[in-house]
Amino acid sequence: MNSDQPQQPMKILLVDDDPAEHLLLRRTLDKVDGPPLELDYVADIASAVESVKAGGIDIVFLDNRLVPNNDFRETAPQLREAGFIGPIGIISSDISGSYFQEFPEFGVDFRIGKSEIDRTTISFIIAEYTRNQLSDNCAEDFS
Amino acid sequence: MPDAAYHLGPELDRAVNRMDFFRLFKALVINQNFLYFVLSEVSGDDEGVNLLSPHALHNLPDSSLGKTNGKSVGAADPVVLRSKLATAPFFMDLLAQPSDLVGAGNARSAIAVPLHTVAARRYCLVMFGDAGEPDRGELALIALDAALIFQRYYEVILSLDSITGLNDREIQIVRWTSEGKTSAEIAIILGLSEHTVNSYIAAVLRKLHVVNRAQMVASALRSGLIA
Repeated sequence: MNSDQPQQPMKILLVDDDPAEHLLLRRTLDKVDGPPLELDYVADIASAVESVKAGGIDIVFLDNRLVPNNDFRETAPQLREAGFIGPIGIISSDISGSYFQEFPEFGVDFRIGKSEIDRTTISFIIAEYTRNQLSDNCAEDFS
Repeated sequence: MPDAAYHLGPELDRAVNRMDFFRLFKALVINQNFLYFVLSEVSGDDEGVNLLSPHALHNLPDSSLGKTNGKSVGAADPVVLRSKLATAPFFMDLLAQPSDLVGAGNARSAIAVPLHTVAARRYCLVMFGDAGEPDRGELALIALDAALIFQRYYEVILSLDSITGLNDREIQIVRWTSEGKTSAEIAIILGLSEHTVNSYIAAVLRKLHVVNRAQMVASALRSGLIA
């Protein structure tokens, strides 16, 4: 995150059936003054699967309920089955449902309420999920 | 933002990862009319605050991080210095004593709450903003809220250093690593993100007190965690 070299924009995919959320997130991202960020938007899980298959997506913000799907337990695994290994965050206006506690089991990295999303939260998410958690001496030994 | 009691409500018991604790500490800070926070370990006399420490949490603005070179603030910084000497929460006027932690212009005041773990490691939560000085009763309530969230943070995140057993997911990942799979390959196999796989590996390294994947596999084999 602090390299002196120019950084490639990080590409965020928003999956939400409400186009207004796209506008809101774009306005929030415009206020983030860290590394460059790009925002792609699709309204349904089938399009999201196509997007991640095409490559180039670094992180997915997935709305919990996408009509006609039920909730993230039905949609997030589809992104994993498509081979996406980047972070997936579930966003929702209400994350108090007890089933949200199951998010790690469905390949989801984090959950967050839509009202909690602001520029400092976005900065934290980017830093947290691009951070190398393993020291240099723990690099892949097997490739 | 969530309602006033959010950080002490059911979400406190539901927190499972650093993102959840970021949300809780941020809710506490906003609830007290502050803007930013830093949770960091308080180290030895000559050491400052390392914002890139794996246990540190903060929501500092990037304009502030630019001034701190993105990672550390020296031990001579007034907030850091006073945190090292304090055992009770305190208020600081940043106009009189500016701090590089948050940067000039980003905040006029700070409240710091010293915290500690049962393993005698010291931490400090510092809240930055423009709020005025609270009375002692208000300061005590802020400290209590911070301590309740920190206790949970210790139980879920920090105490991994003293836990030896591996959970089912960790054993799965050690087993796949022993088969020569990379984190990316394990992520595909298990339907997880590479970040999550690396989180599990980092947790296993801490639990087994080893420093790399080969040692991790060797230790797990020796102790019978995997066959």
